Amino acid sequence: MNRSELLSRIFVITGIILAIGAPLVFWTRTPLIHARMAENGGWNPDIIQAEVGKPLQLKITSDDVVHGFAVGQMDMQSVDILPGKVSEITLNFDKPGIYTFFCTRWCGLNHWRMRGTIEVSGSSSDPEPVSVPLYVTLNLDIDAPHDAPVIPSGQPSAINGQQLVTNLPINQSTDYYRANSPYQVFDELSSAVLTESERWDLVASIWKSNTTPESLANGQQLYAQNCAACHGENGAGDGVFADDLAASGEASMQTMTGAENMMMQSPVDFTNPTRMLGASPALLQGKILRGGMGTGMPMWGSIFTEEQIWDLIAYLYSFQFEYQN
Amino acid sequence: MRFYFHLLLFVMAGLVVAFAPLPVPPIAPQERTFRIDARQFAYSPSELKVNPGDTVTLQLVSTDVVHGLYVDGYDISIEADPGQSATLTFVADKQGSFRFRCNLTCGAMHPFMIGKLTVGTNNWLFRSLGLATLAVFGALISTKQKA
Repeated sequence: MNRSELLSRIFVITGIILAIGAPLVFWTRTPLIHARMAENGGWNPDIIQAEVGKPLQLKITSDDVVHGFAVGQMDMQSVDILPGKVSEITLNFDKPGIYTFFCTRWCGLNHWRMRGTIEVSGSSSDPEPVSVPLYVTLNLDIDAPHDAPVIPSGQPSAINGQQLVTNLPINQSTDYYRANSPYQVFDELSSAVLTESERWDLVASIWKSNTTPESLANGQQLYAQNCAACHGENGAGDGVFADDLAASGEASMQTMTGAENMMMQSPVDFTNPTRMLGASPALLQGKILRGGMGTGMPMWGSIFTEEQIWDLIAYLYSFQFEYQN
Repeated sequence: MRFYFHLLLFVMAGLVVAFAPLPVPPIAPQERTFRIDARQFAYSPSELKVNPGDTVTLQLVSTDVVHGLYVDGYDISIEADPGQSATLTFVADKQGSFRFRCNLTCGAMHPFMIGKLTVGTNNWLFRSLGLATLAVFGALISTKQKA
């Protein structure tokens, strides 16, 4: 082998290595995140570092079933994570802090446990004060029983109530609606000269006036995506996971007995007027924000925005009240 | 000469078995709704029977992970998340038996998540059986002739 042949060989081999290696190095610089069902480990890695003002590139693949990716409280389209495919996502963060990312496609009973965090470092130009949730301000015990002692005989109609509301001095403000349960409002209306069903219709109209069709539609969508698998598509607490939850909750609920035990294990029935009409929007907000403390109810505080939670709550009451004719 | 006559006879018989129109009892098309529960890795019910011309509505209810349902031959599909059941309506205008399968990877045994949709009688199955019998019969006769 003469000198020039050796040189040309070295030249060709270096060229090939560069052509294959350079994209490979570039590709591996952003690590691949693996998504698995929560039972098998969830996200790996589940803590991601990022910086303010620097776009964060993510590559995610699934090792088992269809998953989804979204960051909580962020206005973004969720991205499907399919097995055998790599989804690429670019995120931009304006503010430092700890963000929660979560799975958006139901991937089993423990789907909601599939969460991770993005730690965004950097300095913020305008630090926002943290607002205290309403249930804390009102000093509500969100674990106390809240049954309504009286329930309506039929479904209260907001349309009928609206006709009554015009000639009565009734507080319809948002603060009043959020702080009181339908039963409390019903009770306060007892001074007026009205029949019981008229009073319930009035309550329904107050609830309706504090929401909009857009909010209800948004709430319905959030409900279908995040709640219906356990609480049921029609709100009756009979979702596809209800039985599995009861079975898996048995172990963790051993300190409780009888009816209370069962109540803690199975998803709440939103069509049950005793429970729903005794719950104020602030109470429901607390339950959704914090989650069920040992039950299967996830904590949504780091995922939903405040507005999304109010929309969802407005939709939950539509299992009790008739808003349209 | 005799051989060719027999061959012609068998070919004619084969064509009759394969293409002869069958008497079809007239059945009024109706609407049918099926609720199909999908779980890893099976559908229940996994066998559906309808008559040709029926309007079929499938409600897919997923009970663990995201599943899909794709009907071979009809080339239609739906997908359902747990808590978000999906419905699909179509007219069963093709006769025969068709596989339906999960078209979203749902775990290790995903390729085996299949079911069957039967529209009317599966005539091609019986015709093929007839043709096979005819072939065996022909083979037997031809070996006898040579001997």
